[in-house]
Amino acid sequence: MSSNESEQALAARIEAFLGSQVGHPVRISQLRRFTVGFSWRTFGLTAHDLCAPGQDEALILRLGADAGLYAPYSAEPEGLVLDSLQGSAVPVPRVFWRSDDTTLLGAPFMFCSREPGQALLPWVSAGAPVLREPLRLALAAQFTDMLAALHSLPWAGRPVQALAQGISADNAARRNVAVWEAHLLRWAMRRYPLAEWGIRWLKAHAPIAPRVAIVHGDYRTGNFLQQDGRITAILDWELVHMGDPHEDLGWISLPMYRGGSPYLCRLLEADAFYRRYGDAAGFEVDPQAVHYYQVFSFLKLAVTHMAAARCFETGRSNDMRMPAMGSQVATCLRQMDKAIQRGVT
Amino acid sequence: MNNSFARLIDGMNEVLRSEALGRIDDDYARGQIYGVINLLNTFKLRADWSAGFLLQQLAAQQQALVAVAQLLDEAGGAGVAGVALLTPMSAHLSGLGGLLPPPAALAPHASTADLLARREANNTAIGELMAWAQGGAEAEGTEADIAVEALPASGERALQDQVQALLRQALLAEVEIELKNSPRPLFAEMSGAAPN
Repeated sequence: MSSNESEQALAARIEAFLGSQVGHPVRISQLRRFTVGFSWRTFGLTAHDLCAPGQDEALILRLGADAGLYAPYSAEPEGLVLDSLQGSAVPVPRVFWRSDDTTLLGAPFMFCSREPGQALLPWVSAGAPVLREPLRLALAAQFTDMLAALHSLPWAGRPVQALAQGISADNAARRNVAVWEAHLLRWAMRRYPLAEWGIRWLKAHAPIAPRVAIVHGDYRTGNFLQQDGRITAILDWELVHMGDPHEDLGWISLPMYRGGSPYLCRLLEADAFYRRYGDAAGFEVDPQAVHYYQVFSFLKLAVTHMAAARCFETGRSNDMRMPAMGSQVATCLRQMDKAIQRGVT
Repeated sequence: MNNSFARLIDGMNEVLRSEALGRIDDDYARGQIYGVINLLNTFKLRADWSAGFLLQQLAAQQQALVAVAQLLDEAGGAGVAGVALLTPMSAHLSGLGGLLPPPAALAPHASTADLLARREANNTAIGELMAWAQGGAEAEGTEADIAVEALPASGERALQDQVQALLRQALLAEVEIELKNSPRPLFAEMSGAAPN
């Protein structure tokens, strides 16, 4: 089946689902898959007559298909977090419907509001122009403040509390490493002693978190929308979990996301970022913890690339970006090793 | 590369058929795509990954493992505690020096699958040894990058450090060799990058 044919079949299922939710027939048009993202499939669509006759609604459908990088998926963690962040200083799409029932659309899914703006890519083609300075500075400030707001959110009593079972400042790092060790065992198609060495280093050097916070897990350029210098939505929450806020700081510091610029995520000078973030988040950024989570992030990215290689090799996906990602395992492991040897800078 | 050659060919073939052909109306362009598909099918039947970089990786692994085997033999003779736990591994290691021909001599005879299997067996041995060697460092919560030093007569920890240093050389060599054989990825282009 071509992708055109499969999207036609999906459109029919979407119309049936939406119609069942509102109690009258719904028609959709302009179903279009976005090319970004390696995991959940993201579609834009227009729903006609959904809320009122003659009224159009622009929606986003996120579909956790078996072909995705981290399959099998559940819409629950992301849904709980997005519900918890409504009305906060972290702009996120609103979730209208979500379900893990695969009989409805063939995979777990979420229907969300479609927010305005475009995503900046973390990677840059050779010779591409750098971000204009006013745009960079405007985005940098918001990018920092929104992360601090996320990590400062009083989550107790909100839906996201369900993700915090058993997690404390003392065990957050070790539990997180255990999760990714399990992923390594599950996704690696061959033995990677260097990755195993990194896991043991992480277990031996686990820091105590300053607090247990909502950790986005993939907070970087490419995962937010911006319009005219205003960040309109933070996206791609599929790796969200509760843990040490330094984890997002380590991820942001990965050189892969600098796009050839001297700035973290193409946006920020490191020291200024940590200062502003620390002031807004209400705790002093610990350089040792950032270093620890940078090592962790290299390992996590290596394991993610292993997942991509497996996803392609087993035939779950023919997306040619998957083997391209799979070819980057060595890069990440070498960077991980260098970060360990280098220590805190 | 972490995917098999045949699977990559199949994936490229499928993408061209399902994603490209259906969206291209120009007859000449479609004909050219079928030409590429035809060649891909030929490659799948006749080609495989080059053995060159696998042989380099094997050479680095074997050099380290043979050195570790000698070290463990000496330590066993000196009565270093903990070495006895590695008896099954020692048997594998002591076999490496005699059983394996120099990697360069394997090239005309060994298939890529054979070389990959050998690399995996070596990495399994390295992984088990590293777990043992790193045990001391982990327990003490210290950095694991210990320089090679003279082996004290009964120092299990010093032996672990030496083993770890030897094996890390092999692990880093494997990674470096892989990187030398990898082009710069075009993630921006693959993600439909537009200048911004």
